[in-house]
Amino acid sequence: MFRYESLEDCPLDEDEDAFQGLGEEDEEIDQFNDDTFGSGAVDDDWQEAHERLAELEEKLPAAVNEQSGNGERDEMDLLGDHEENLAERLSKMVIENELEDPAIMRAVQTRPVLQPQPGSLNSSIWDGSEVLRRIRGPLLAQEMPTVSVLEYALPQRPPQGPEDDRDLSERALPRRSTSPVIGSPPVRAVPIGTPPKQMAVPSFNQQILCPKPVHVRPPMPPRYPAPYGERMSPNQLCSVPNSSLLGHPFPPSVPPVLSPLQRAQLLGGAQLQPGRMSPSQFARVPGFVGSPLAAMNPKLLQGRIGQMLPPAPGFRAFFSAPPPTTPPPPQQHPPGPGPHLQNLRSQAPMFRPDTTHLHPQHRRLLHQRQQQNRNQHRNLNGAGDRGSHRSSHQDHIRKDPYANLMLQREKDWVSKIQMMQLQSTDPYLDDFYYQNYFEKLEKLSAAEEMQGDGPKKERTKLITPQVAKLEHTYKPVQFEGSLGKLTVSSVNNPRKMIDAVVTSRSEDDETKEKQVRDKRRKTLFIIEKTYSLLLDVEDYERRYLLSLEEERPALMDERKHKICCMYDNLRGKLPGQERPSDDHFVQIMCIRKGKRMVARILPFLSTEQAADILMTTARNLPFLIKKDAQDEVLPCLLSPFSLLLYHLPPVTVTSLLQQLMNLPQSAAAPAPSNPHLSAVLQNKFGLSLLLVVLSRGEDLQSSDAASELAQSNPWTEVMFVATRELLRIPQTGLAKPISIPTNLVSLFSRYVDRQKLNLLETKLQLVQGIR
Amino acid sequence: MNYMPGTASLIEDIDKKHLVLLRDGRTLIGFLRSIDQFANLVLHQTVERIHVGKKYGDIPRGIFVVRGENVVLLGEIDLEKESDTPLQQVSIEEILEEQRVEQQTKLEAEKLKVQALKDRGLSIPRADTLEEY
Repeated sequence: MFRYESLEDCPLDEDEDAFQGLGEEDEEIDQFNDDTFGSGAVDDDWQEAHERLAELEEKLPAAVNEQSGNGERDEMDLLGDHEENLAERLSKMVIENELEDPAIMRAVQTRPVLQPQPGSLNSSIWDGSEVLRRIRGPLLAQEMPTVSVLEYALPQRPPQGPEDDRDLSERALPRRSTSPVIGSPPVRAVPIGTPPKQMAVPSFNQQILCPKPVHVRPPMPPRYPAPYGERMSPNQLCSVPNSSLLGHPFPPSVPPVLSPLQRAQLLGGAQLQPGRMSPSQFARVPGFVGSPLAAMNPKLLQGRIGQMLPPAPGFRAFFSAPPPTTPPPPQQHPPGPGPHLQNLRSQAPMFRPDTTHLHPQHRRLLHQRQQQNRNQHRNLNGAGDRGSHRSSHQDHIRKDPYANLMLQREKDWVSKIQMMQLQSTDPYLDDFYYQNYFEKLEKLSAAEEMQGDGPKKERTKLITPQVAKLEHTYKPVQFEGSLGKLTVSSVNNPRKMIDAVVTSRSEDDETKEKQVRDKRRKTLFIIEKTYSLLLDVEDYERRYLLSLEEERPALMDERKHKICCMYDNLRGKLPGQERPSDDHFVQIMCIRKGKRMVARILPFLSTEQAADILMTTARNLPFLIKKDAQDEVLPCLLSPFSLLLYHLPPVTVTSLLQQLMNLPQSAAAPAPSNPHLSAVLQNKFGLSLLLVVLSRGEDLQSSDAASELAQSNPWTEVMFVATRELLRIPQTGLAKPISIPTNLVSLFSRYVDRQKLNLLETKLQLVQGIR
Repeated sequence: MNYMPGTASLIEDIDKKHLVLLRDGRTLIGFLRSIDQFANLVLHQTVERIHVGKKYGDIPRGIFVVRGENVVLLGEIDLEKESDTPLQQVSIEEILEEQRVEQQTKLEAEKLKVQALKDRGLSIPRADTLEEY
């Protein structure tokens, strides 16, 4: 809206026109200002709307007789009548308390006022609403006039003649936050998350989609606790003439006159001829019963009706089903929600959610439960043979008039969403425990079957259809030949906030600490890599079972390769060299996760590789023991090591023992002290390992009868030295081993005399009684 | 559970009386009428129950629509066992009064604690004053 700075700026040609134009603009602006700030601003008050409705009731007899084709004229007349009252009402615009509202009080007096809520609560909002609920009930109990409710929901304006249309369209902003602003996207009268209706309601002119602020509540005060028997169920209300639930805009006796809105809705929704919607048809529909709140909104109501017809949309299908009874008088509606909903439920199998990707036992359980539920509901009408608990529960279901507000269709919809969330490309990855649990169950039931020798159930193989993983690589929009890149950022293509560049430092700059830190980081990284390899390898067995014949060799190769990689990672891969340093391995073993990982890897390694690991461990055991002081995880290695030992040849065992005890190579000159051995003996794991090694050696020795004679058995030599060392070691703080092998006494008895044997026994606590 | 054994679903709980504990500490008791995929609840004939010690009081509230994320837990109420409680029901004014008294004593105790800590030069930051990270 352009304004000229001064009059002189106006082009002289268009003097008059311009002035006139300006004048008109001014008028418009004044009008707008007036509306917003001045006297024209009407406080949108729904209470006002209801007052007007109340007054309309009084005018009803007159209005009903009019068969006006032009509803608007009527509206205008009625609006005009209120002009005098408008000023009065405007003055009462600000009302502190709803209860001071004279209109409400008037209305309240016409009906028996119920006792106020117990106690003087500060929670007045709830109080007020209950009071008002009673008021609104009777208002709508009367038939609505031909005036469309919509118009009444809008703020009142004094009649302005030709500008009316424009007024209504531009200024009629309803109170709800979903008010449509012209030019904005169309309002959904129903929130976005609601389940879809059978019949898509065609979108209308935005203005018309104002949701009606009129609420209908059954005229029943919700007293707590109200026994169900007292209240009238909506079913019964339907049969009561002039009850609020039947307070449909169209009285039964009068051919309904519809506003353009309702006509269009009916046209679009019901596929019936306009004006033929008799309330009897509405009354017949049990969905009406279940949703009293929606009753007054024909659009939603049609949605409800639509939901009642799962297989076939449209009223015709529904009403064609019981042909002779259309249309029945309102009183003869079906006795209750039960039969209809049962019909619906029997049609429910069409709506069964997609269970194909459930475990087959799930499906079985699911059917079982559905059967149970069906039986329960069938017993509703029949004699309840079940226990009292069940029957009382069913009693409650029967007597609960608000039951099944949530339709079966909606329940299916929710569970469908929940099912969708369960879809996965790799069920073992996504839901490991679920899969395992059901596998266990299956095994159990299979085991029971074998024992019980009962009827054989079908052995269902576990097939989980997997959703294909779709890889979407998002390519941001690019124009060819342009000099720059578009800075469009979206969910798939988020903008880069920080340019983090990795710079690697040179060796000189680093301090010792940093080096240590980096080394540790590298070790951690290697552990992580090796761990994922390990998990993959552990998984191969399952994959093997699931795969086809052709794929299996490939799987085996993969597995072998991975195992080699793991071993290389553990020992530190040095291409084409021996492995001179244990350092890499020791670093890994210093970290708790590394130790556990090694324990898990050992079963997969070949004997030589595993033996190598074992030797390295034994060699560096004191150091590892020192590092393990906090974690105390080393004992987890004992069992894989023991298992391994049973596969090792005697030579290895011998050298292992040497390593473990740090025995001097030559038996001649023993070292003064053997801290290595002491450290080993003072550690639980060390001692246990030592004992296991000794035991194994003894087993080998005793099993191989021939070598017993040969004195130059390396084992024997080592044993001599070993026993000497053991005797020498002071008995300070020896650890308690995890397990003591039984053959140690016989072992030592070979090499030492009686006295020393006793000594050894006491020292190492080899005899049961001492411990 | 009706449709998916092994999963948790509220569908089987519909039309049954439930006790719902909200994140702000309120306890609501009502009939669960409707749910959605976010576990938003529609409670009917809801009563807010305030517990103080061994007493409780009920405030009738009507219909509640509870956003799912605000629910801590909910459980079905066995209608037969419902009255079998050692707790004593009192009027609303009384329970509100008791609640007020309880809040007051708690505040005072808290104040004393904070003062004692302050005297010793310590301070425990309250959870709501901590910065989120």
